[in-house]
Amino acid sequence: MSGSLGVEAVSKRFAPAGQLGVQALENVSFSVAPGEFISIVGASGSGKSTILRIIDGLIGASGGTVLVDGNPVTRPGTDRAVVFQADTLLPWRTILDNVGYGLRIQGKSRAEARRLARPYIDLVGLRGFELLYPHQLSGGMRQRANVARALAVNPQILLLDEPFAALDAQTREIMQTELLEIWNRDRKTVVLITHQIDEAVFLSDRVIVFSARPGRVRDIVPIELPRPREFAVKRTQEFGVYVERIWSMIEDEVRRAMTSTAET
Amino acid sequence: MNWLARDSRPAATVRLIIALAIIVAVWEAMTRTVITNRLILVPPDDVFAALVTDFSNGSLAKNSAVTLWELVVSFPVAVVAGVAIGVVLAGNRIVASTAEPLLTALNAVPIVALAPLFIAWLGLGFASKFAVIILVSLFSVIISTEVGLRSAPAEFIEAARSFNASSWQIFTTVTLPFAIPFIVGGVRVAFARALVGVIVAEFFGSLAGYGNAILAAGQQFNTANLLAYVVVLGALGLVGSILLRTLETRLAPWREVART
Repeated sequence: MSGSLGVEAVSKRFAPAGQLGVQALENVSFSVAPGEFISIVGASGSGKSTILRIIDGLIGASGGTVLVDGNPVTRPGTDRAVVFQADTLLPWRTILDNVGYGLRIQGKSRAEARRLARPYIDLVGLRGFELLYPHQLSGGMRQRANVARALAVNPQILLLDEPFAALDAQTREIMQTELLEIWNRDRKTVVLITHQIDEAVFLSDRVIVFSARPGRVRDIVPIELPRPREFAVKRTQEFGVYVERIWSMIEDEVRRAMTSTAET
Repeated sequence: MNWLARDSRPAATVRLIIALAIIVAVWEAMTRTVITNRLILVPPDDVFAALVTDFSNGSLAKNSAVTLWELVVSFPVAVVAGVAIGVVLAGNRIVASTAEPLLTALNAVPIVALAPLFIAWLGLGFASKFAVIILVSLFSVIISTEVGLRSAPAEFIEAARSFNASSWQIFTTVTLPFAIPFIVGGVRVAFARALVGVIVAEFFGSLAGYGNAILAAGQQFNTANLLAYVVVLGALGLVGSILLRTLETRLAPWREVART
């Protein structure tokens, strides 16, 4: 089975020409086994989104390498797909054609892209909404379509950048369980960026905790809650202990981030 | 009243008819009360009669053929050229920053003031009108194309890139579709300018055409005839605007749905 991911000593400095710049990531290393579900949590400024973009190949690292099944990543590829936080469905395409977008980019015909997209529409529960435009759907449904668009290209690795952050609390909880069900079906490798610690604990096999400024791996916490996980697991004591432990690691930085924003 | 506020074709037609009826009524009332000098203003029915006369003696057809031909050939060329230049400007920062001051200057210069020059260079016929129409309508198409292409949200482009889209694929699937409503808006502005441009160019020198007819009527103090051609121009502007709006809803159906 493929879909292994190796992040080896990755660093990233954002430096405008002639300036010192910002060290976003410093010597970040971790690996993800095929079919594993990992989350990355950290205060703002910990470079969570940056590492995701480097893994996808959207931006290059200043140092270190990302390996997918042993091959270094230089640009986006069909073995990876991203679900973004922002609403990135194209407003002039129907839901069906949005879900088939990645397939069209790969050179499939319109008819073929639609045919291949349909099962993913069903998978995320959007049957009957294929021919509507994104603005006619609720935020939760749009994000389902975003997930379907990423899954439709059948990637080995699914990268999620705070996919539920813009949703209300109830919708978010429902989307979490749906994501688990989808993952359970074909066990793709998943890397989830989130600022919700309970979301990370609920979904993941391991939670990678980043520290901020510069972004570094602070700790990697294996989550040994039994699978398949039901909603009720969130009310167990073990769950609370995991959340507490991770929160205590980043609490100081979150507070510091808050005060530094207040000062500026 | 609620029905009139609707965004439907019959409601729009009724609104238009009501507006036209009000204009004609005010016009009629003015000619009966305030302005009784027939050199300055004639009542609507005189204008209509002048229109019928010119229609039956073939002048309307002759003038329409000249002006419409000038527009039908030149305006699409201006649109295609404007979009092409806009695409180049949006794609190349160096070219854009060089060309922008020139374009702004071009926009600030009343091109129609150059019409006499074009007549001198290119003669009384089609070529001088072609040049004027191109120059007056080009700017707004270029700018709206460039702005539309540049305004495409970075998130859309990043999402396309995450699927490994090439620059060309990003252009055809993200930035160009996003720019379409902008471009159509620019084309609408350009059409109004082209209409003014072609008439003024004909004023300065032509053998036939609406501008030629208006100038002749003015010099003969034939106010009814003059206004008859102005009404025709108004109708032309209206039809052009309706056609372009239809084109916009055809090219950007998602925006139409957004309104309902």
